[in-house]
Amino acid sequence: MTSSSENSRLLDRIRADAPGAFEEFVERFGGRIYAFGMKFCGEREDAKDVLQETLLQAYRSLRTLDNPEAMISWLYRVAANACLMRRRKGKYEPEREISLEELMPRPGEGPRVEIPDPSAMPHDDLVRAETKARVQRAIGDLPDPYRIVLVMRDMEQLSTQEVAEALGLETSAVKMRLHRARLMVRKSLEGAFAGRTP
Amino acid sequence: MSEKHVHGGPECVALFAKLSEYMDGEVDPAVCAGIEDHMADCAPCRDFLESLRRAVAFIASTNAPKLPEDLKSEIVAAYERARRA
Repeated sequence: MTSSSENSRLLDRIRADAPGAFEEFVERFGGRIYAFGMKFCGEREDAKDVLQETLLQAYRSLRTLDNPEAMISWLYRVAANACLMRRRKGKYEPEREISLEELMPRPGEGPRVEIPDPSAMPHDDLVRAETKARVQRAIGDLPDPYRIVLVMRDMEQLSTQEVAEALGLETSAVKMRLHRARLMVRKSLEGAFAGRTP
Repeated sequence: MSEKHVHGGPECVALFAKLSEYMDGEVDPAVCAGIEDHMADCAPCRDFLESLRRAVAFIASTNAPKLPEDLKSEIVAAYERARRA
């Protein structure tokens, strides 16, 4: 059975409030929403609260959802709201969009410090843990409206369309914020790797 | 592109704005071909793209802890309590 038909079947069971439907819902999506909360909020307690709020609220509101294809976007919409409310921002819009000029190297200035190739990283637990911490810090430092798009696209592997639906943005805005978020992380990693031999 | 191409001009600026869409396969074939032509002659843009690819690979490889089993039970219990209330 495909994931789409499984979601459709689950949605029917949720609408009917069938015995065990909530448990199945938790089993199917709990891990994904918890991971999303961890990646966005960075704290277990926040991720736990995001998970609980999202599953309880989404389970109730999914009963009115007509299109099973929209289930994933809907879930992430509820989860994104829970994440952003937890950070007391509660909005998807930045104060101002960060301009590309701010992120572009000046003429004649290439990548000064090589970011190591992730596939060629040494199998050293300490180096890996240090690298993971650097990447998490770089992601954690992003402004919320950019981080939420980056987490959904590059970490949760949602499509541009799914992110647009989840956040109520145009696809062009999703692409624009994703690009800026990646550029900010790249810049931050470049600085973090400065002075270190990969 | 001529061999005298100097990095930092309008072509590089235009390409810089499209790098993520190019990486994600979201540009149309004509734009894609134009970017590849430019990359062939502009080493700094090529290096920048590679560093961006690596940054994205690091982002994608960042995993999160698994959902603890006891948390699942806790949420199901919260749902049952709310249902009975």
